[in-house]
Amino acid sequence: MTETIIKTENLTKTYSGSNVKAVDNLNIEIMKGEIYGLLGPNGAGKTTTISMLSTRVAPSGGKAIVAGYDIIKDSLKVRKVIGVVPQDLTTDEDLSGYENLMMVASFYDVNKNKAKEKAAQLLRLVDLEEAANKHVKTYSGGMRKRLELIVGLINEPEILFLDEPTLGLDVQTRSQMWKYIRDIQEKLDVTIILTSHYLDEIDALSSRVTIIDHGKVLVTGTSEELKAKLKGDIIMMTFKTQEEAEKIKEFPNLVDVKDNGPKSVRLKVQDSDRELPNVIEFISKNQLSLTRMTVQKPSLDDVFLEYTGKGIRDAEGGGEFRQTMFNMRRLRR
Amino acid sequence: MSGLLPLTSREFKKWYRNPISLVTGLIQPFFWIALFGSAFAGLADLSGASNSIIEGAPNYITFILGGVLTITGLFTAMFTGVNLIFDRRLGTLGRFLIAPIKRSSIVFSKIFSAIARIIIQVAILIGAALVLPDGLRFAHGFTLFDVGVLIAAVLMISFIFASIFNLIAIRITQPNSLFGILNLINLPLLFTSTAMFPPDLMAGWIRTVAKYNPVSWSADSIRTVIINGSLTSSQMSQLGIWLLALFVLAVALVLLTYFLSEKGIRE
Repeated sequence: MTETIIKTENLTKTYSGSNVKAVDNLNIEIMKGEIYGLLGPNGAGKTTTISMLSTRVAPSGGKAIVAGYDIIKDSLKVRKVIGVVPQDLTTDEDLSGYENLMMVASFYDVNKNKAKEKAAQLLRLVDLEEAANKHVKTYSGGMRKRLELIVGLINEPEILFLDEPTLGLDVQTRSQMWKYIRDIQEKLDVTIILTSHYLDEIDALSSRVTIIDHGKVLVTGTSEELKAKLKGDIIMMTFKTQEEAEKIKEFPNLVDVKDNGPKSVRLKVQDSDRELPNVIEFISKNQLSLTRMTVQKPSLDDVFLEYTGKGIRDAEGGGEFRQTMFNMRRLRR
Repeated sequence: MSGLLPLTSREFKKWYRNPISLVTGLIQPFFWIALFGSAFAGLADLSGASNSIIEGAPNYITFILGGVLTITGLFTAMFTGVNLIFDRRLGTLGRFLIAPIKRSSIVFSKIFSAIARIIIQVAILIGAALVLPDGLRFAHGFTLFDVGVLIAAVLMISFIFASIFNLIAIRITQPNSLFGILNLINLPLLFTSTAMFPPDLMAGWIRTVAKYNPVSWSADSIRTVIINGSLTSSQMSQLGIWLLALFVLAVALVLLTYFLSEKGIRE
């Protein structure tokens, strides 16, 4: 996992008729074999970045190397070694799933027998064997998304771009898609670049994540690293008396401690998994009577909040209620 | 042109799987030859000199066949642009643009599949004209040369208009805009040509316009060989000029379509 497969240098895109940089001097490096997440609110520049890397949109500045090829000079070579699953549906409704796969295979000059084999394998992988010969217009939304996923894989790409693969799917279908995406990464030896504005999706799938907003990289790391940068987990405890609540503040190894209402305390510790036994030991040693205890590990949500200064839903204009919730959480912390 | 074959075969699948478009496309030529043939047949009886008005054809259907063949090509070709716009709207174009295929193959798959449909329609039309009572009659037999001229003329008029409408579709996103343009020009194009009417019955200025209308070139080329059989040298040179003009126009437009589609198809 040390070989670089995509590298951008000051990649920039300004759409004509607009002064805003959709992507602004982007520098990212993606390693072979990883699932790399691009996280950001709508309009952050995720799709534009993917469009440039997949040679669909020409950059206005900077450069990028994809699988060893320059996206501007060798765009055709880049196209041959990548697979793309765009945000919008691209399969032909009047053809069957199998026919769609075979047509796209022939765009890549895949040998017909090999394409047949590959199509069968991929259809099996996403449980579409039975529907393979039905017209795509009879497919459900989830089935179409699954078909889109494997159409992007028919040319055996080294890199697969997934742009919002679960947008508009229900919760069950989403987690099903996640399973397929993991299967693909395991079985097909392909590097996956995934964009999403669902934090849980990035958290569940990607090995590393870059948060971008307004076309700029805010931070990159594994989601564990990013969470760790928030320096600690929260342990919330409520006691029978205020004195006991004060006593717990003497617990060693604290990162931070705050009152959280009457008889209630918020401890911040480096690693709750490791500290929890010590906290319990401290409680029993001091004979404190605990009435309530919750452990909160930071989510990617908190990371996003930390770096963008806004919750991801607010960034999308997700309503004032969430904004208030986020502000409250921030205040409490 | 990689991608041309799979994309053209896709167009065909879409065509024959849509029963309405398949059947209407195949029946339409029958209608045209039967309706036009009867509707305007009165022209041939206008005067004692009727045969000279319809340029010596034995009946109106024989006279009009060149026109109907040309119009069939013209109309089918014009509609091909719409498919490109629908590909854009339905998202399939996005898949083609990601693939390592030539941009022009996307456009030419539409053009070639239209041409193939036109050839089928032309064959049906000729068959229909032959079986109709008082239908198509070849004065001097039907030679290979006649077939060649007929096919060349229809193909070139089809390439010309398929190119024009695909050129428009490369940039346009609204199917209605294309239909608007199509409706604006199809009938004027037809009625300022000699496809339906003998030039002798036209107003003077229309006759002048008709002379420079490519639709007339194609209709008159076909008509000349069907009605006359063996041609005089002046007929031959006139035929040569029409076919050459069609050829130059077709090649120019096909090349323009190639270069502009390679330059970029709007997403």
